[in-house]
Amino acid sequence: MTIVAELFMVAGGLVALLAGFGLLKLQTPYARFHAAGKASPVSFLVAAIGAGIILGFSNAVYLVIAAVAMALTLPVGVHLLFRAVHRSDTGIELEVDELTEAEDAAGHRHR
Amino acid sequence: MIANFAIALFAAAGLLATVRLLIGPSLADRIIALDTVLVSLMGGIAVDAARRENGTNLIMLVVLAIIGFTATMAAARFIEHQKPQHGGAA
Repeated sequence: MTIVAELFMVAGGLVALLAGFGLLKLQTPYARFHAAGKASPVSFLVAAIGAGIILGFSNAVYLVIAAVAMALTLPVGVHLLFRAVHRSDTGIELEVDELTEAEDAAGHRHR
Repeated sequence: MIANFAIALFAAAGLLATVRLLIGPSLADRIIALDTVLVSLMGGIAVDAARRENGTNLIMLVVLAIIGFTATMAAARFIEHQKPQHGGAA
C-alpha cells in the first residue's frame, strides 16, 4: 500500500516538473498560462491522493478541502489572467479570437 | 525514501517557475510563475507530511489554496485596468 502512495506522489512531482518546463519553454503568454494553469492543479491533486493514502482519514480531510478549493479556484484565477492579458492588448497575433468578437457583439468592450 | 525523490521533483518545478518569475517579460507571466511556485510548495508540504506521517502542517494547505486565488484575482484586476503596453489600436 505504501508503494502505491509513493508512486502517486512521484507522479505528482513529475506533473509539477512538466508544468515548470512548460512555463519556462513555451513562447507566448497564452501558452505559458495554459501549461501552468492546467498542469499545476493536477500535480497537487495526484500528490494529495498519495499523501492521503498514507496519512489516513482524519488527516486526509484537510487534503480534500485544499484539493477542492484549488480545483475550483485556480482555473478561475488563470482564466481571469487570460482575460486581463487579452484586454490589456499586448500585441500578440491570434489566429482565432472569439473573445473580441463576442465582446464586440455584446457591445461592452471597455477600451 | 521515494518520498524524498518526490519532494525533490516539486522543488525542481518550483525552481523552474522561479526562473520564469525572474525573466518573465510581462507582469502576468510573473504572477502565474508565482502561482506555480505556490502550488509546488503545497505539493511539497503534502508529501512532507506523508513522509513524516504527521498531519500538523496540513491546515496550511487550505490557507494557501484560498490566499493564492485571492492574490491571482487581485493581480488580474490590476492588469486589466492598466494602459496598453505597446500602444495597440484602441
